[in-house]
Amino acid sequence: MMKDLKVAFFLGYKSIVNGNKSIIVLMIFILSLAFVNLIFTNSLLSGVTTTLDNQLINNSVANIVIDPQEEPTRENYIVHTEELRRQIQNIPGVIATVAHYNLMATFAYDKNKDGQYKYGSWEVIGIDPGEEPLVTGISNHIIAGDYLEETGSDDIVLGSDIAGGYGAAEEIRSLGGAKINEKVKLNFGNGVQREYTVRGVSKVKFTLIDQEAYITAKEAKSILQLSDDRASQILVKINKTGDEDRYIEQIKKLAPNLKVRKWTEYTSMLNSITSSFDLITGMIGAIGLVVAATTIFILTYVNTINKRRQIGILKAIGIKDNTIIISYVLQSFFYAISGIIFGSIAMFCFIEPYFISHPIALAIGDISLTIKEYQVAQGIFSILIAALIAGFVPAWRAAKENILKAIWGA
Amino acid sequence: MNIDIKAKNLKKTYSGKVPTYALKGVSFEIEEGEFVAIMGKSGSGKSTILHQLGLLDSPTEGELLIDGVDVLKLSDHEKTIFRLRRLGYVFQEYALIFELTAAENVFLPAFALNGSRRSYKERAIEILDKVGLKDRADHRPNELSGGEQQRVAIARALINNPKILFADEPTANLDTNSSREILELFKKLNKELGQTIVLVTHEPDDRKYVDRIFWIKDGLLEKEEKMANAD
Repeated sequence: MMKDLKVAFFLGYKSIVNGNKSIIVLMIFILSLAFVNLIFTNSLLSGVTTTLDNQLINNSVANIVIDPQEEPTRENYIVHTEELRRQIQNIPGVIATVAHYNLMATFAYDKNKDGQYKYGSWEVIGIDPGEEPLVTGISNHIIAGDYLEETGSDDIVLGSDIAGGYGAAEEIRSLGGAKINEKVKLNFGNGVQREYTVRGVSKVKFTLIDQEAYITAKEAKSILQLSDDRASQILVKINKTGDEDRYIEQIKKLAPNLKVRKWTEYTSMLNSITSSFDLITGMIGAIGLVVAATTIFILTYVNTINKRRQIGILKAIGIKDNTIIISYVLQSFFYAISGIIFGSIAMFCFIEPYFISHPIALAIGDISLTIKEYQVAQGIFSILIAALIAGFVPAWRAAKENILKAIWGA
Repeated sequence: MNIDIKAKNLKKTYSGKVPTYALKGVSFEIEEGEFVAIMGKSGSGKSTILHQLGLLDSPTEGELLIDGVDVLKLSDHEKTIFRLRRLGYVFQEYALIFELTAAENVFLPAFALNGSRRSYKERAIEILDKVGLKDRADHRPNELSGGEQQRVAIARALINNPKILFADEPTANLDTNSSREILELFKKLNKELGQTIVLVTHEPDDRKYVDRIFWIKDGLLEKEEKMANAD
């Protein structure tokens, strides 16, 4: 066996070293493309889901969302939030919690101060400006003006898609360019009307979040006429995303009547986008793999067909079939490994850095490539398996052919 | 004298819509150290006989003993090993591996048999010296003339000290001078090393080099002719 391997290695090596250079370069080039295609498409789609996940966790709902009781009777607020938050924060691994007050309001903005108002309805969230940065990253995404202050009861931070003028996905539905220190009037769902000064504009580049406005919790409670420590929602930030189920179990023990959900369940539409992208990623990955395998197969097949006579000669002089097959499989492996190496260089040295510096701007944020180790390993493994099969089958067919037919092409 | 090849009633039929009876029952014996030519017109079946003897093809019927072994009972794998160890084959069209140098082409069968390249590279050079190509050892086939390529093919066929050397019209693509050199080389190998050689040829001039001729006609052995130069 060792003898056969040595001869196979010798034949494969000579075939590569002394073979047609342009064909070798072409084969490695095509396999590099196949590998890049396999990794690139997956990492781009992973980039979309990663951005979506990060946006939700970092700028919207954190890891765990606690909503008011739904069964047996539906409540509007969570009661005794301070006590509950204290208990939750005592759970090891919980970084912080915040209470949110969710309101809907119709915004009115008189851009030209001529009595011609532009209207729109958006969600307003009451937040504690001091605590909020521990859980969400809105304070880090102020693109104009300032973040809220604890005492700023008449201040409002507008999402960029509400303010307008910041490249919103639906600019026409925005207020058309509300500026810092300008006034906006809000008519809340419960009939309360207030006028606020635009203190800042936030933009996280995710339309759903950029269509929210923020006021202080104190102001929100006054609008909702809440004198105690009730809240619309509690968000929980934990130190390890992915461990949510364990924490949810513990929180449910503390507050069995409340609706406790993982961030992935909270926004079902986004959740379906994520799962659709996962499905698409899987499908494109499988197609990419089939394309790569077919490419290797065709290239090896054409190569063996071209060398049919040589295979016949090798058999005629007493070289074993297995030795010939192994030599072609080794050649296939060489092309595959070279393709993986050159593909990796292209991917990690050129394509990935390019997308980091030039991310794709989508309505969910800036999309870069998320190259996951397991996807790279899967790509390498897939290309090698494809090379093994695609190298073996045509070589096996050619090696099993009648010697005279192979030599004379009969 | 030992018998190297014993063929009895060899038949070869190629199936198809109309079956082709290439060999219709050929029997002969070839002794150790003989230089035999198989001659006949084109399509007579002479190459078909050589293909059966060289184990490149299997007869439809008949018996074939080579070096005392009933080769028709061997598996494909055993036939490959048998070819590697005991037979040498020279094709009409040189049949070299173009990615290998002359020396590498020559030592390849020895490498396959013994698994060591280094020791057989020297032997390859020695054999190339015998066929007058020592200085062309590192050249690849496309850098050699037709006659030189055929001499490399002969050297390759000799590397494992085969019991029998088969040559299928080895001079068909060569000019007169190269043809003469190749046949003289065969004669030299036969005389000096006692190499059994079976040559297929249609060149009447080749008669003078061989000990015996089998004349083939329409798939049958028409006659045997012992030559005057035979011992």
